[in-house]
Amino acid sequence: MDALPDFRVLNPETLDEALAARAQHPDSKPLGGGTDLVVNIRRGILAPSVLIDMNRVKELHAIKVDENSIEIGASVRLTALAQHSDVIAHYPVLAQAAAHIAGPTHRNMGTVGGNLCLDTRCIYYNQSEWWRAANNHCLKTTGSMCHVAPKSRGVCFATYSGDLAPALLTLQAEIDLAGPNGKRTIPLEHLYIGFARQDVPVTETQGDGKFFLSLRPGEIVVAVRAKNTPGLRSAYDKIRIRRSIEYPVAGVAVALKREGDKLTDLRIAFTGTNPRPVLLAGTAELCGGGIDERVIKGLDALVRDQIMPMKTTFTPGHYRRRVAGVLARRLMTRLYES
Amino acid sequence: MNKPVPAHNIGDYVPMIDGPDKVSGRAKFTADIVAPGQLAGRIYRSPYAHGEIVSVDVSEALKLPGVKAVVTGADCDKGFGVLPIARTEYPLARDKVRYRGEPVAAVAAIDDATAREALRRIKMTVSELPAYYTSQAALAPDAVQLHEKKPGNIERDVLYELGSTEQGFAEADLVRDGTYNCAEVCQNQMEMHAAVAEYDAVRNRMTVHASTQVPYYVHLMLAQILDMEMSRIRVIKPHVGGGFGCRTETLNVELIAALLARKAQGTVRIVTSREETFITHRGRPETDVRLKIGMRKDGRITAVECECDQRGGAHSGYGVVTILYAGSMLYAIYDLHNVKYVGRRVLTNTPPCGAFRGHGTVDVRFAFESLLDEMAAELGLDPFAVRRANFLTAPTFTDNDLMVNSYGLPECLDWVERESGWKTRKGKLPNGNSVRKGLGMACSHYVSGASRPVNWTGEPHATVKIKLDFDGSLVVLSGAADIGQGSTTILAQTVAEVLGLDLSRVRVVTGDSELVPKDNGSYSSRVTFIVGNAALDAARNLKALLVNAAARKLEARPEDIECLGEVYRAGAQDRGATFDEVVVEALKDSGTITVTGNYSTIPESHGGKKYRGAVIGGTMGYSYSAQVVEVTVDEETGVVTVDKVWVAHDCGKALNRLTVEGQVQGSVWMGMGQAMSEEAAYQDGLMVTANMLDYRVPTIQDSPPIEVGIVESNDPHGPFGAKEAGEGSLAAFLPALTAAITDAIGIRFNDLPVTPDRVFEAIEKRKRALEKKKGAA
Repeated sequence: MDALPDFRVLNPETLDEALAARAQHPDSKPLGGGTDLVVNIRRGILAPSVLIDMNRVKELHAIKVDENSIEIGASVRLTALAQHSDVIAHYPVLAQAAAHIAGPTHRNMGTVGGNLCLDTRCIYYNQSEWWRAANNHCLKTTGSMCHVAPKSRGVCFATYSGDLAPALLTLQAEIDLAGPNGKRTIPLEHLYIGFARQDVPVTETQGDGKFFLSLRPGEIVVAVRAKNTPGLRSAYDKIRIRRSIEYPVAGVAVALKREGDKLTDLRIAFTGTNPRPVLLAGTAELCGGGIDERVIKGLDALVRDQIMPMKTTFTPGHYRRRVAGVLARRLMTRLYES
Repeated sequence: MNKPVPAHNIGDYVPMIDGPDKVSGRAKFTADIVAPGQLAGRIYRSPYAHGEIVSVDVSEALKLPGVKAVVTGADCDKGFGVLPIARTEYPLARDKVRYRGEPVAAVAAIDDATAREALRRIKMTVSELPAYYTSQAALAPDAVQLHEKKPGNIERDVLYELGSTEQGFAEADLVRDGTYNCAEVCQNQMEMHAAVAEYDAVRNRMTVHASTQVPYYVHLMLAQILDMEMSRIRVIKPHVGGGFGCRTETLNVELIAALLARKAQGTVRIVTSREETFITHRGRPETDVRLKIGMRKDGRITAVECECDQRGGAHSGYGVVTILYAGSMLYAIYDLHNVKYVGRRVLTNTPPCGAFRGHGTVDVRFAFESLLDEMAAELGLDPFAVRRANFLTAPTFTDNDLMVNSYGLPECLDWVERESGWKTRKGKLPNGNSVRKGLGMACSHYVSGASRPVNWTGEPHATVKIKLDFDGSLVVLSGAADIGQGSTTILAQTVAEVLGLDLSRVRVVTGDSELVPKDNGSYSSRVTFIVGNAALDAARNLKALLVNAAARKLEARPEDIECLGEVYRAGAQDRGATFDEVVVEALKDSGTITVTGNYSTIPESHGGKKYRGAVIGGTMGYSYSAQVVEVTVDEETGVVTVDKVWVAHDCGKALNRLTVEGQVQGSVWMGMGQAMSEEAAYQDGLMVTANMLDYRVPTIQDSPPIEVGIVESNDPHGPFGAKEAGEGSLAAFLPALTAAITDAIGIRFNDLPVTPDRVFEAIEKRKRALEKKKGAA
């Protein structure tokens, strides 16, 4: 078995201590449940010399939720989120997304912050050190080529697979970050910069599968917040080959409002398809009437344009895009008619 | 006083006797063995698929402080392999590497981190050769040979025709053919491969702890590889976390650990990673089947032509046996005549394949049952009727001389037909908008132990000893390897049953060559039948001895002694003697008592001589299985859900209903993995799916309710009538599933696994074809 390499674990008790530790150890990684990080360390993908265990930082553990708004600390466990009665009642998309993550033991350990910052995945990346070396490494580690798109000219296409992000994107969530220069709050959508645009150099706002988060050096996720929209109906579903453990072949969150016979608000977000969770643009144009052929076809077109799974998983990209569309339509129709 | 009664356990639900150790964590597996001063072993594996080794430079590794030994191909020029005729593999590659992941060198160091660093310092240069990842590529006329003595990259070709297929097809009302492809699959047992080798430099002795199914083979191969007398070697099999066939062969891990230990003059422990366990492989080969069947209107099969290509990987392994099983086991389930079989075992630059639960039979059975289903539909026959039209009548010998003495297939079919409500529900399941339901059925069978072991020296096929001493406990000594299947429990049950004693009086010692009789190991579902019979013989011998002692004590004739387990008495009026008193009496003769039981298969079971290798497939008794699978297919996503499985298994006699049901459910479940989600996939020979996320073994969430019906045909030779229960129910799941999908959506899948994307693609293809047709009209 691949043993873990040596590293130090720091145990800050407050956010300030955690930030100080981060600043002191630029090579460190914050540790939540370890369900993603530790696996990658064991595979030799990452080798941080210091892990900052965030679990004792009390201010990161709270869920504040009522029918008007929700705020979830970064260290809240996925099981707690999935089973919280007020979350289930007022933010069903979020509870459902949490309940769909991996398997029960992963959810018991995994945290909200960890899931939001889940490393992007690729069959050429999530392999052992020996495997990656035998395959000449890849862009996301130390290599010079993306095996998914050999002609990508420096763009990595590793896929974002977190389940919570699309759910929170449909709730128009904001995320609180803390770093060496203080706190800031940004729309969650702006956290994800994995646009992976060919021939566009990677910047702070335009990233790819490798640089997929807009976190600044030393920044830590504190909490994620959203306001409720009265009358919003929401749900999450995903396709996977097995019904547990797996990352999504495609995951879809839908939130919508129906007033009379009219669709008045529609938000759809995807995961498991692109190097970022994608909040579908252009859904406003599908509103105004009922769900008819025009809406269905319009949705298909939006998915076709914006959802672009590459060969990052063993399941073909074409299939992942098509079922992403099917799930979106089904959820939309079901919520509209419910 | 109530009449004392002998204790019985046969046919009960008996928890495994090693269960408490396993569920409490007390059971020690190979990786749990930690010796003082033990060194960590690690293996350097080839990153190349095919090449001539120019150099393996380990000098930098040796300079690293803490490195105690490094071995390479130069340290061992002896080949190994399970078949004496095919020992072409070296523990560490010499001259050539033939697959990505093949061991080239190994390091023993004071700790794992040092060993890992040492591997980074090893430099190998090769002169690369063209590599072949498919059977077709390796068979191409201009392909470079992987092995000098295997022209055309064919490990073994098999060709025979029994009867006349020409005549058989001429008698048919319907002749159909099909091509089938089954992806390569891995066993993926819970425990990763591990070995701990202790070399005693003073006495020149080697002890190896190995996670193996056959300690005897490990013993033989260690002697060969180390060039050491067998008497200097001791092999210990601790608890083993599954095998499903991949640990039947001696694995390179076990041999490398021993080579390292001897060179380091110490103890070396190698515990491989999950990826290494995958790459060590010995799974089921990717198989292409071309099948042609002739059938009369009443469903009677008139002729069969089967061609089978197996992508065997880079070394021989079990290859010859696998390709022979694929042909011979066409027989012994239905009454077949006029059969032609063409098999090719191909050498490719992928990890070597091996024996996998249902060895050699599964993929061909998938093809056969699929084509039967298709032809039944075309002839307007019920799939059950087609099977019934082709029953064997036991006892009989098949055209390839396989001996069939008990045949519970008819009862298996009746059971699943009745329990699944086939007659009333088939074709009448409620469908939703985009969701359709279907029912499918199929059959399969398997051997209860190969009737001729690979290394046969003329000695009995199994020997069991029972020791009885002053404490009145019975210690059963057997080399049979319990790998989680429950063989230890069955041996205890057998002995307790014969003597009428409670199981608590019986202990079983296995898995240490220093203590127990040699055994041929746990493969081909042989233990219950063959070792069980030896245990039965030993228990009867012990009983006779105790009856004699009781007769002496009770001053009666032995034939008048009644054995009631805890009491022996001479007639109903006699108060008798307790078991403990009888033991005291018996010990007066000889002190500690040791009895021996033996078992050998009968020559009639050894197959025939009609073609080379006709012995493969021979057994003392075949198990039979029938299954009905109910599915729901989501036509918009391609997701197939197995709603329920009914499976009936003829195991002769269920010695332990709990473990029989568990084995049958496990077989169904493993078949489900192969049918629906599992695939060992390669990118230029590099296994992409060598982890638990991408190699998709079904989870408990995917497991449907599985109803098990036990059919007891009481085999005349089986212990208490028993036959095998651990393998025969795997194969039927695959074709039953695809038949159910066909029933649901009208599309038949001949390629496995049937993943959602494949179902989706097939549905899309049909849509496009329909639209094109509409457009044309």
